[in-house]
Formats: sequence, C-alpha cells, structure tokens
Amino acid sequence: MADSGVTRRQFLGGLAAASAAVTIGDVDAADAAVTRYAKLVDTTKCIGCKRCMSACKRWNKLKLDRSEELTDRETTLSGHTWVVVNLKRDIRNNEDLTYIHWACQHCDRPACAGVCPASAIEKYPEGPVVVNEKKCVGCRYCYQACPYKIPRFDFEKRATRKCTMCYDRIPKIKPACVAACPVQALDFGRRTDMLIKAKLKVEAINGYLLGEHEAGGTDMLTVLKTRPEDLGLTVAPKKIVNQPSDKVRISFSGFAGAAVLAGALYLYARSGGDR
Amino acid sequence: MLNNILYKTERSHFFYIWMSFLAALGLLGAYGLASSFFLSLEVLEFHVDIPWAMMISTYVFLVVSSTGLCIVTSLGHVFGRRDYGLIGRRGVFLAIITIVFGMTTITLHLGHPERSFFFYLTPNVTSAIWGMSFFYTFYILFIMIEYWFLARAELARTANTSTGWKQAIYGLMTLGLRDESREAVEKDHKFARRAGIAALFAGLSAHSTLGAIFGHSESMPYWYGAYYPIYFLLSATFSGFAWMIAALVITYRLERKEMSPELKRLVLEMGRVFVILLVVGMLFTLYKIISGFFHPAKAKTVMLFLDGRLSLPFYILETAIGTVIPILLVLYSLSREWMTGLMIASIMALVGLFFMRYDFVVGGQIYPLFNNKPVPPVFPSLMEVFVIAGIFGGLFLVYTLAVKFLPLDEESH
Repeated sequence: MADSGVTRRQFLGGLAAASAAVTIGDVDAADAAVTRYAKLVDTTKCIGCKRCMSACKRWNKLKLDRSEELTDRETTLSGHTWVVVNLKRDIRNNEDLTYIHWACQHCDRPACAGVCPASAIEKYPEGPVVVNEKKCVGCRYCYQACPYKIPRFDFEKRATRKCTMCYDRIPKIKPACVAACPVQALDFGRRTDMLIKAKLKVEAINGYLLGEHEAGGTDMLTVLKTRPEDLGLTVAPKKIVNQPSDKVRISFSGFAGAAVLAGALYLYARSGGDR
Repeated sequence: MLNNILYKTERSHFFYIWMSFLAALGLLGAYGLASSFFLSLEVLEFHVDIPWAMMISTYVFLVVSSTGLCIVTSLGHVFGRRDYGLIGRRGVFLAIITIVFGMTTITLHLGHPERSFFFYLTPNVTSAIWGMSFFYTFYILFIMIEYWFLARAELARTANTSTGWKQAIYGLMTLGLRDESREAVEKDHKFARRAGIAALFAGLSAHSTLGAIFGHSESMPYWYGAYYPIYFLLSATFSGFAWMIAALVITYRLERKEMSPELKRLVLEMGRVFVILLVVGMLFTLYKIISGFFHPAKAKTVMLFLDGRLSLPFYILETAIGTVIPILLVLYSLSREWMTGLMIASIMALVGLFFMRYDFVVGGQIYPLFNNKPVPPVFPSLMEVFVIAGIFGGLFLVYTLAVKFLPLDEESH
C-alpha cells in the first residue's frame, strides 16, 4: 500500500465516498422507495374468513369459481380468482396451521413484465404490476416466467389476468381485500412503513418475512410464523428473477452456437461434394 | 414438365386412400378446433397448471424441422456444395410448409392471436418470444422469396407451354416474369442464394431465440440455462436431414420414379451426416441427464425421465425409437446402400424427436410447481391430439398437392 502512495485510511475513505456517490446518485431508486406502496399480510392474525377473496371478486367483477366455497379446501388461483386464502400445515410441526393469503407478490422487477412480448404487463411506480388485458395475446409466457406462477389464463376472456393491487383505488382508497379484512390482518401503505411494521412483527414472533428479498424484493410483504418452504409455499430465489443481463448471456450462447454451426456448415460444404 | 404433371396427376387407388386419410385427419382437427372455439380454449390443455403442452411442443417440432431443412438446403445454395444444390427446391418448400403449419399451431393456442400486432407497436426486446417472432417473420419472408426464385423458371415453363386457366394460374405464380433463358435462370439462382443467406441468418437467429424462450425461464430449472439455445440448433440440423431423407425416399417410391445416381449418392451422404449428428445429439442428451441428475434444482425433473411419469416415453420413444435404433439402422443401411432403411430410420428419429419435444415442454413445467402435490398424468387431452392430427393432415396434404402441381423436382446444375 505504501509503495503505491495510498494509505489504508485513504483507500477506505475513497471507497466510502464512492459508495455514497453511487447511493446519492441513484435518484430513481430513492424516488421509487418513497412513492412505492405495499400490501402487508400478517398471517398470525388471519382467521381464514375469506372476505378478502369475495371483496376482490366484487371490486374486480370476477365470477365465482366452482371450487370456491367457504371451507378449508385448497383453492387455486385462476383467471377469475386473483387472491386465495388457504390453510397450510407446518411440516415441522403438524399441529401448527396457518391461513395464507396468497396473490401476486408485485415484484420490484417483475419477470412477467420482462418476458411479455407485447409489453402488456407493466410495473407502476406506485407498486402494482398490472396486466393490460386488451393487449394480452394469451401466450402464457408470463406464467412460465413468474417464480410464483401467479398470472393465470382466463379462458373466457382468452387473456391472462391477475391481482392488480387495485391500482384503480390506490393510494387514496386501500385495495379491496385490505379494506375488507375484519381483523386487520391486511395492511396497506408506503412500502418503507410496511417494511418497518413487518420487521417488528417478525422479530416479535421470531418468524419469517416473505417479500423483503424474494425475487429481488416484492410489494406484497407476508409475515409468516415459519419459513415458506415449511408451509408448502413456492420459494422464489432471493434475487431478481430473469435479469436482462442473464437473458443476454443465454441468448448470446445461442447466437455463438449458431455461428459455430454456420462455420461447421461452411467447412463441410468445402470438404467435398464436387463443388 | 407438362407430361410430368400429367403423369403425376394420374389417379391411383393409393392416392385416393391417402387423400381420404388426410381429409379424415383434417376433420378431426376441425372438430378439435371447433371445440376450442365454441366450448373453451381449455380443451387444448390437459392440466390447468401446465398450459404449454402438445400445441407448443408440436410448434417447436415443426419450426425446428423448418430451420433444419433451411440449414440442409443452405449447404447447396448458400455454401455452394453442388450435390446439395439438387434438393434445394424440395427442401425449401418443406421448410415453408413446416414453418407455416408450425405458426398455425401456435396461433391456435394463443388467446388473442389478432393482437400480435402489439409485438410491433409496443415491442419488448427483452422477451425471447418477441425476438423469435421478429426473426421468424423475416425468415418466412426470405424462404418464400428463396423458393420463388428457385421455382420461377419452372413455373414460367409450365405457364408458357399450357393454355387456359392453367396458364393463368402458373403465370400469376411467376408474377409475370416468364423468361426461361439461361441468363434469367442464372440470375434467379443468384437472388435465391442471397435470399437463402438472409433466410439462414434469420432462421438460425430465430431458432436460438426459440431455445432462449425456455433458456431464459429462470423459474423453470429444467429449461433454464444456455443448453437449450444450443441444443435446439443441433436437433434442428439432424431433423432437417431426417425430413429430407424421408421426403425424398418416400416421394420417389410413391411416384414410382428412379432416383438418379447423383441423388442416390446425396441421400447416402446425408445419411452419413445424419448418423454423426444423431450420435452428437445422444451425447448432448446424456450430458443433460447426467448434469441434471447432480444439479439440486434439476434432479427432480431428471428423475421424472429416469424413473417417473415420463420414463416410458423417455426410454421407448426418445431413446430407443428416436435415437438408438435409428443410429444402428442408418449404419446398417449405409453399409448396404439400403434406401428404405434410411427412410425408416429418419421417420423413427422424427417420431422420437416429436415426443422428445413433448416430454421436454411438459416435463420442464412439473417442478417446482408440483413440489408439494402429486404429479398428474401427462397424457395430452383428446382435443389437443385431434388438432395436432389435423395440423399434420394439412401439412401432408399441402405437400402431396405440391408434389403434383409445383416444381419440387431435384434440379440439375
């Protein structure tokens, strides 16, 4: 270090200045954090009444599913069921049952929007990830890309549909599900506030916060008593799914393969056949 | 040419039986399609959680075949290998119909295909489906132009030597360019070569992007990665050889025509390349299975193939019928110059490839979705099978008619 004329203190100081510059310089990210809203689900409070499900259906004018009854039978998401409440058993402790409110997690960098060929899916600055049903061609690529397999195909509308976080209500009015919850298991507000609330709750019960890091961070935060895999929930990687740089890497391998193939064809064609 | 057409249009019993069979397939397809329109698109899916099944796998199979045929014919027209120049017209025509029927298959599975114009109004360049559609649009355009330049002189000859409606139709197909002179034909070949280069470029790009559709899907561990964009190119190449060998041998047999010694030599040469590619393909599959077996996220899907829902199709259809038997049969046929053997091996490889696509598409969607649920049976729905039967019926019908009415004959340079 001494040889290069930079002391350890100077080096560390420079490093700190650089990180500060990067942080301050990232105005977009700072703005996004302030304007973004999130839905908070406290599964320790949920009583499984499914009012959130019916409120969602009423507000979004969705039809009833055949399998949808006021029982503890497993309900699945569909083109007209955008939120489900299912009773999940902790595999480590069979006695422990938890109602899980499950819907689109509204990822910060949604994989679904990244793969939609018609740009029909958009992440709004306030947080919701919304499918423009009038643009959807119905290819189901978003379903394949989603780490949680949330976007479902509506066979009547022949388009993919999912929770919109009631983008047509927020931020003035809370999403329909949140407004309908009788026990305040659902909450809605700025993501920064929701995150603080969620962390305090998780700390209090020594539980798990789903959505802080999953898929690069999501705008639905779920307080769980245990890890999501113990409850049989789909586990997403703790990083942005389908990053553009990763796509470039994979596509490039294909193009490189194509170039090698073209070279091989050229060599083969030159090798004989009475040119 | 006229005599040739008259000879070819001679109706035999077999022709009627064959056409009735294709019409029956078409009817099944129409029934399946009507159900998907009037009942629900749901009839084309065997499980609601597995939306991509036979419609997608058949699409992949057909477009893979198209790219493969484009690759094989490019050896003659683009890379200048004289013997492959013989099969240019038939190969390029097959490439056109396989891509057109492939595109039809995917269109029938889309919720709103008419909205595809949004691909161009509001494009998403990070979407592999967008990239594939973009490249395939150009690919279809270029192979059609390539075929037109390869066939124009023959079409002009037919138009010039016939009268009435026939002259009008063939004249229309030449777009009024009826020059049959040597210079015009040479010019055609020059343009065909240019279109061929563009088609090959677009086709290879489209094809690796097709692989990337699956390769990009990070949440589908079995598909994710650089393997499929590359493997798709390899499998396209050997399926191109398989289609070409099968089409040549079957068409010449049914038309009771003798292959020229040149063409026979070419078929044997294609057989040699085909078997090498099959072996390379087998090594790729082996790599996929072994590496997947030791990969924590892929192991469960690999076990589906080795000892699960997909093991029977994997061992019997993909491995035995699609790979091992064709390799042995091609080697045996090459030593005896047995054309029928080559043809059977090619058809078997194509059948294997068809099911391999299905297993790959469906198998890739099982995990992680069914991690906590029992894996459902993976049989396609009846309507899916009907529609696919109709697609193949239509494909073979168009080819049969083209053999009779369009210049697909092997050219002499």
